[in-house]
Amino acid sequence: MSLKYGVLGLLKGEPLHGYEVKNRFEAMLGGTWEVNIGQIYTTLQRLERDGLVKPVGQRGDRRKLQYELSDAGQKALDQWLAQPDSGPQQLHEDIYVKLLLATRIANGDLQPMLARQKRTYLQRLRDLNRLEERARHDGRIDLARLVRGALLHTEADLKWMDELSSERFGAEEAE
Amino acid sequence: MNDLVRLTDVNKVYQGGITGALNGVSISVEKGEFAAIMGPSGSGKSTMLNLIAGLDRPTSGTITVGGTDLAKLSEGGLARFRRDTIGFVFQFFYLLPNLTALENVLIPAQLKGSDAKARARDLLYKLGIKEVADKYPARLSGGQQQRVAIARALINNPTLLLADEPTGALDTHSGDQVMELLGGLHRDGQTILLVTHDAKLATRNAARVLSVVDGRVVDDARLESPERAASEVIRVRSEETSR
Repeated sequence: MSLKYGVLGLLKGEPLHGYEVKNRFEAMLGGTWEVNIGQIYTTLQRLERDGLVKPVGQRGDRRKLQYELSDAGQKALDQWLAQPDSGPQQLHEDIYVKLLLATRIANGDLQPMLARQKRTYLQRLRDLNRLEERARHDGRIDLARLVRGALLHTEADLKWMDELSSERFGAEEAE
Repeated sequence: MNDLVRLTDVNKVYQGGITGALNGVSISVEKGEFAAIMGPSGSGKSTMLNLIAGLDRPTSGTITVGGTDLAKLSEGGLARFRRDTIGFVFQFFYLLPNLTALENVLIPAQLKGSDAKARARDLLYKLGIKEVADKYPARLSGGQQQRVAIARALINNPTLLLADEPTGALDTHSGDQVMELLGGLHRDGQTILLVTHDAKLATRNAARVLSVVDGRVVDDARLESPERAASEVIRVRSEETSR
């Protein structure tokens, strides 16, 4: 849902039209979140329907139509900012499902699978390190902070693989 | 043969315990490489480093460094090998407390006198701590002490720099600085073998990661270093993926 609030946040400073919202949103996220212009228009239409933004000037060519934040939009934005992230933790761990299935299908030796995954995480760490370096070099401290978070997550993934390796994950089912 | 270090079927058995033992390790490291050795404590990674440094001898197997078979060296020969070929950086710095930073750097110098002194000062300058030359270790921060220790390790222009958890006793910021220094030395051509349990720091500089578990090298990962766009490395979750 944060695209909605991202748009609200960008409109707080000044009225913007759809393309400006798209460009500023992507620039803010340093290329880590790409949105298509259709998503932006849909989001703006919904926000207008819900009374959170309002068009500035005449409705005509939608590419030129600017939007600004309404009072209700301001309130919704403030509320969202004040709330901690909650809800269940989102994991996209294909590797876990692979291990579960491989435990049933293969005969317990999951070490090669874990080792391959570990290599991927090591490579990711290296890529992230370089990205962080570049972000700092470019003065994008905000992006560097995001990369830092990703580094720590990947480090945890690696530790998880090590733990599974040392537990001989899968061996218990094979015995 | 470009291998600077070569271990062939190296075993190390310790009396009365298995921790730190090595079990048939064969690896080679080329000149100019920056390789990290990772593994849990007691896995044998420090043992590997100590054997390569000639601080200890293997139970069986051969270790050659720069073409020299370490088993063929006498104790005196091994001491000269360590002094001339190896620079060693430890987790807890091991600076002598009653010597100044500059005097500590000069301990291993073969050439006494003004040449060595000039080189020591130059190293302190390069490592960003020229102002601490005449201070005693107790007056220095952990990061400064480790940089003095790195200068000491480099004073004889070692062919091989070995570092055993060099950031282990440092805060994140000082640790980052020390790793950055090691990265700079590597870019200048220094061959470095780093033992660490910090994958984040290891992959920052090392393009090769050896994983050691229970005295065996279980993986030898060579990492790529392409310039990747941010979007190829990170995606902040969007509606499409979380739906």
